[in-house]
Amino acid sequence: MPSAARTPRSFSTMLERWITALHTEDAGLEEPAATRDRLKDRFPKNATRRMSQLGLLVGTALEPLQPGYDDALIYASAYAETRALEGYLDSFPNPSPTLFQTSIHPSAVQQSLITSQRPIRQFLPLTGGVHLPAQALLTAFLAGSPRVILCGGEERGTWLLDHGRSSDRTFAFALTLASEPVTGSLARVTLDFSDESPHASCDFPLPVFFDHLHNRRPVDACVLPGRRLRIEWTP
Amino acid sequence: MSVTGPAIHIAASGALTAFGDEASTLAALLAGRSALRLLPVHGSEGGDLVPLALCEGHAYEETVLPSWLPHIRKLAAQIPGDLPWGTARYPVFVTSSNFGVGHLHAFRRRGDPAHLAYGTPFDCVDQLVTALGWGPDVTTLSHACVSAHLGLLQASRVLAAGLADSALVFSFDFISPFVAGGFHALKILNADLPAPYQDRATGAIGLGDGAAFAVLTRDRGDFAIAAQCLHNEMHHFTANQADGAGFSACLANLPDTGRRLWIKGHGTGTLNAGRLEATALAHRFPGAPLVSWKGALGHTLGSCGLVELALAIGAMRAGRAPGVIGASAPGFTDTVAFNSIDLAAFDGVVCTSNAFGGAHAALLLHHA
Repeated sequence: MPSAARTPRSFSTMLERWITALHTEDAGLEEPAATRDRLKDRFPKNATRRMSQLGLLVGTALEPLQPGYDDALIYASAYAETRALEGYLDSFPNPSPTLFQTSIHPSAVQQSLITSQRPIRQFLPLTGGVHLPAQALLTAFLAGSPRVILCGGEERGTWLLDHGRSSDRTFAFALTLASEPVTGSLARVTLDFSDESPHASCDFPLPVFFDHLHNRRPVDACVLPGRRLRIEWTP
Repeated sequence: MSVTGPAIHIAASGALTAFGDEASTLAALLAGRSALRLLPVHGSEGGDLVPLALCEGHAYEETVLPSWLPHIRKLAAQIPGDLPWGTARYPVFVTSSNFGVGHLHAFRRRGDPAHLAYGTPFDCVDQLVTALGWGPDVTTLSHACVSAHLGLLQASRVLAAGLADSALVFSFDFISPFVAGGFHALKILNADLPAPYQDRATGAIGLGDGAAFAVLTRDRGDFAIAAQCLHNEMHHFTANQADGAGFSACLANLPDTGRRLWIKGHGTGTLNAGRLEATALAHRFPGAPLVSWKGALGHTLGSCGLVELALAIGAMRAGRAPGVIGASAPGFTDTVAFNSIDLAAFDGVVCTSNAFGGAHAALLLHHA
């Protein structure tokens, strides 16, 4: 097999997009039953019965954006369907087919879009750790659709949380990105590629990204070695 | 409309299945052999017998140090070029459906907290990154059985944007009681062996271990991905639209190139999806022979798109593609190829994968 030869070179590129809509849901320590009761009127009758807490919140954040077929949809979650995963694991030796299905990444988005029968061409779900927002944003920036929707979230676990394998809080967000500024744009977002600090530790996990979105706080941070994220909110 | 831009080249690829590397796998497939064996779905805890294809030495029930890790190391050692993978100009795109979730099952059943080190997707990928010496620029995509296609797509986009010189796509899924128990509970994994695209009374799938890699570049390599397409029905979690519109919508986005094509389909062995898939493919590409190898390899889940792409490349280099294994006529369409195919008459292949939620992915591959 031929090999790809190394062609080292320095480069500097900046990609730029605009946030044109943003919805956040900060459920914090809320229990799934409370979330279901709080949001049940947002979904068709009986639809919420089998939805996960994350599915309810992601769906609620997505709904005002009305995802269309030609939108690209990018989804980011490190732990995803924690409660369904816990329930599925606890259902052995008689595993639950419903919980198995619900536990699979990217079920939260599918719960919402299947409920609303909303097909979509491009759906790219990501998972990851401390660099997840950086990777999800680049995926969104390169998606090539006139409108790109970036959504994500986590749900607080129970026994997985006791062992440090789930989120300790529940939240969700959804935003639209445009390649050109439009009237009413909420923020300018740039990803700056640079070789200047390739070995720096640049932890910027999803909850931190969410807090900046939820509180409309500006960002100017290394989010992956050699990659800087800036979010400048419109006054 | 295709979702990709310019053609992206494949500089290198490799695969691992229960038969071994891609050369061993192709030889076994051409000989009509199956790696599927009937094993208890819950491992040492028993349960119904189900068809599984496990790599040699891979313990079905997770061990604290994953018994699949040596296979990953062996596969990664085949990646040529000694490039600084996981750095800005050489990003890595990891795809899987299950990652190390079998370790959470093992932890919950046996209580050893050492299993937790591989339990979450990013913990598992972090372990791989450390084991393989990659840097931090590793993007992880997970969309069940179309996961590998998404890794190829995003890697292609990063290259097309000029943000990388080469990109490594690395996919893996190793079977455990976690995933087999789920498919068994869904009643599509049973004691029957899969017979993809065969028109019979009952359907069944098998599951198999799989891992693969591809090194993508803008301009080096003897194969090119000319187009990549996606479609997500969002109709039902476990069923496709009854009229097959989802399959057709994805395939409609592949360009008409005038090439003489063969088809490496998804073909798990389920009845409804197999019938819809074969019919849509025959309509979109009349006369193009259709094969699936999951009757021999099992469904390798999140890795299947890349495992089968590497095998398709190997088949095109060798000039002969294995036919459908584990099935016989009558097929759902007369394009189903139950025997191996002489590829001298073809100059391109369409590779497809499907997933829960009515997710569809397809790509067009040909010699560069």
